[in-house]
Amino acid sequence: MQHWKLTGAAIAVAIAGAAHANPYEEYEGTTLVVNFPAHPHYDAAIEVLDQFTEETGIEVEVDQLQYLKMRERQTLELTKDEGDYDLISFVVFSKADYVYADQLENLARYFMNPELADPTYDQSDLITGYVQNIGVAGGEKGYLPGQLGSAFGVPFGSETSVLAYRKDIFEKHGIEPPETYDELLEIACQIPELEPGMGGMASRAASGHQASHAFLLHLAPLGGRVFDDQWNPIINNEAGVEAANALKTIVDCGPEGGTTFGPAEAAAAFKQGQAAMFLDSIAFAAGFEDPDESTVAGNVGYIMHPMGVQRASQTGGFGLAIPKNAPNKEAAFLLLQWLTSKEGDLAVALAGGNPSRFSTYQNAELNEKYPYSATFGEALQYADPDWRPIIPVWGQINADIGTTMSQVLTEGLDPQEALDGVADRTRDLMEEAGYYTWTDAD
Amino acid sequence: MLANANRLTPYLFLAPAVAVMAIALLYPIGYMVWASFLDWNPSQRIGEAEFVGLRNYANLLADAAFRESFWVTIRFAAIVVTVEMVLGVGLALLLDRELRGMTLLRTVFILPMMIAPIVVGLIWRYMYHPTVGTFNKVLDGLGLPTAPWLSDGDWAFASVVIADIWQWTPFIFILSLAALQSLPRSAMEAARIDGANGWQMIWHIKLPLMLPVLIVTALLRLIDAFKVLEVILVLTNGGPGLSTEILALRISRTASEFRELGYAAAMSNLLLILLLILTILMFGYTKLQEVRAARLVAAKEIA
Repeated sequence: MQHWKLTGAAIAVAIAGAAHANPYEEYEGTTLVVNFPAHPHYDAAIEVLDQFTEETGIEVEVDQLQYLKMRERQTLELTKDEGDYDLISFVVFSKADYVYADQLENLARYFMNPELADPTYDQSDLITGYVQNIGVAGGEKGYLPGQLGSAFGVPFGSETSVLAYRKDIFEKHGIEPPETYDELLEIACQIPELEPGMGGMASRAASGHQASHAFLLHLAPLGGRVFDDQWNPIINNEAGVEAANALKTIVDCGPEGGTTFGPAEAAAAFKQGQAAMFLDSIAFAAGFEDPDESTVAGNVGYIMHPMGVQRASQTGGFGLAIPKNAPNKEAAFLLLQWLTSKEGDLAVALAGGNPSRFSTYQNAELNEKYPYSATFGEALQYADPDWRPIIPVWGQINADIGTTMSQVLTEGLDPQEALDGVADRTRDLMEEAGYYTWTDAD
Repeated sequence: MLANANRLTPYLFLAPAVAVMAIALLYPIGYMVWASFLDWNPSQRIGEAEFVGLRNYANLLADAAFRESFWVTIRFAAIVVTVEMVLGVGLALLLDRELRGMTLLRTVFILPMMIAPIVVGLIWRYMYHPTVGTFNKVLDGLGLPTAPWLSDGDWAFASVVIADIWQWTPFIFILSLAALQSLPRSAMEAARIDGANGWQMIWHIKLPLMLPVLIVTALLRLIDAFKVLEVILVLTNGGPGLSTEILALRISRTASEFRELGYAAAMSNLLLILLLILTILMFGYTKLQEVRAARLVAAKEIA
């Protein structure tokens, strides 16, 4: 009897030992269905998924969609009792909707599980601004970290803003790359005079989300915010008007037809030599340096987002999350963890993706392959997670800012009048949504 | 008793098909009407949404962006249907003859309506491109000033109108041509014997005889013009400002971007009611024309 007890104990230890030997073993043969956006970062991620399958035995099927379509599909999927997706990539402004609707797993229960959480994961290495912007909810303002905040996503394919400029054009005319907004605006309008046919800076400006994004890109560095701490709209203060005027100057001095540009069109104008500067996401750099698609490859310099009254580069892009109705949540967490680990982040970055970790930006191999990475790493110190509010009613406010800014750019609407209108409508919307229930809005 | 049973028999045979049609047609409409009384976010199931009565409809009246979209839609539909009717019927009258190569020509004319609207949007977007687009290249080549096709509100509105006319004039053309070719030859021969010239033939014989078909054709185009979405979505996404934001685009954005399904349903229902009224008016007018024609024929027979 004693003999059997000893044998049983030995078997149990062996099983336990075996379980710890390979944390993926239990999930071998599982097929995960993931929903990714059509985006260069995720194209790079897809390239390394075979490596994940080789290491873990977990298969991955990818459903890739344009990012706004992806959001629509996810909205439908997340309301089902059991969804089709095990892991989703969500665009940053979806965080508010999904968390508010209680559709994402709180990741604490996975990071607390010793059988799932990789002890070498090193959370502190994840870029702070990205984690705050994309991952955390429930803290200050609901969408920023705070003592009671928690993580619902991990940044993956996050972006910040840098200024790309034509080194050859700047050298030819003896112009120094702009450090401040005053210099930026001056150079933006100087270029068309020095280089006839070339715009100063290509910017997104199309009606709706794109014009709103472009305006907000300038609002934070110029010291503005959409709301104060009591949710009062302050978008129409001096800084707001200055940001609107900055955008108008940039578009007026930019390439022809700029008021219809989305990010892809603005990037295309820069790549085709129709503009001397481009201030937007780092995600476009790889395309600028690709001689197959860019006529300016090798002639592009990168510097930090110019300073207004402060440095405040944008934060945005995508994060990974596990839907509450996912069929294989634990295996999905293992994939999430693998992709955002130090090794995974580097592998994706080397394949052309955007790093989400400080250590990746310091990697010598990456810096050799993509010399501009060092500037991006520097810009990330100023990545502002609060440059745009991530609240459930943001969609309507964003659309209003976007169409109103478009009227400023194309119909000559006075910026102060335009922003006063936005502020009034935003206040009504916030009131209806209940934001002033606990405070005196006035 | 037996007579009653005989009268009911056809209805019994029809009942299953009618029931299926009623469910397939009316259930979604009923669902949409119900949704319009709710404050419904797509993250909620419909049962979890708050009932708000007529609040969504009341909000529509105070919604300046909705009013703007409504007028953009009315202007768009009125212009495109009028121009397409004139061009489509004109082309049909022009090509209603048997000449060599006419079949090929007719086929070429209807090609645009066979192309997917998204592709039409993309093609025209590139043609309107400020620097590399066909139109500005041509204008530049002729030494004329280039145009801000999509970057100025008025030009953008004209640009989406042109794209729609290009795609849907063939629809009017093909139906008008079919109507023309089915007209009674005897009436035209009689008119020709009476000495009617070409213009008189068109104005007094062909167009009046085609009228019922033209009314239905215009109605179908009008309904479609009120719901056009993809081409404008790709060409301008409703901008600059709200200059090309037609109602269907506003509804789509309200549902997907603003996540207000109840409010979007209320907008859709309003559009549905408007189109129903138009349909009833146009069918009523057609009926009136038919009655007048019948009376005319009867009066001639008596005479």
